[in-house]
Amino acid sequence: MVCEPSTENAKQARRRYTRGMAVAAALYVGAVFGAVSAIRYLDPPQWALVVLALLPLAPALLMLRAYMTFHAALDEFQRRMQTEALIIATAFTVFGSFAYGFLEEWANFPHLPLIWVFPVFSFTFGVAHVFVRMRYK
Amino acid sequence: MRNRLKVLRAERNWSQADLAEKLDVSRQSVNAIETGKYDPSLPLAFKIAAIFALPIEQIFSADEAAQAAE
Repeated sequence: MVCEPSTENAKQARRRYTRGMAVAAALYVGAVFGAVSAIRYLDPPQWALVVLALLPLAPALLMLRAYMTFHAALDEFQRRMQTEALIIATAFTVFGSFAYGFLEEWANFPHLPLIWVFPVFSFTFGVAHVFVRMRYK
Repeated sequence: MRNRLKVLRAERNWSQADLAEKLDVSRQSVNAIETGKYDPSLPLAFKIAAIFALPIEQIFSADEAAQAAE
């Protein structure tokens, strides 16, 4: 998701994005380790399990906020490239998981947890953005 | 769509970065417009026209019109 900043505002936005993502990633690691430890050692009740299971979602949403702020600071061509990469990543993730769902149900493929959807989407978005940038060079 | 951005920029001795700064866009955006890989929005096209102090049709032309003129 690397874009050349256009102006001083865009450079500031990129710095904010990097900082926001770093903070969110650190909070995510903390939330995952904290939740796993609490589930393993504290034997929490069902309602607490629900809260702990959703805990890592909060920093993941902070990542989304950091990206949306960054996206708003890009110029129209950069937004176009981001949009194309998002479409590719969305198509790959949605149709990939859809197809794998049928393979699980009808062809005895091993079960994969839904937790992999977000990492697959993020990775595909990164790869797609590199591909889109190369296409416009 | 075709454009004369590269020629107009060269006449003024501006680099892509210079033009990008005047337009408040990235250098890669100027490059994509110049090479015809990206057609700018109408507001950006008007901004380009204003910077070069030219009517928009003297900078941008449709492919068909350009071919017909040749």
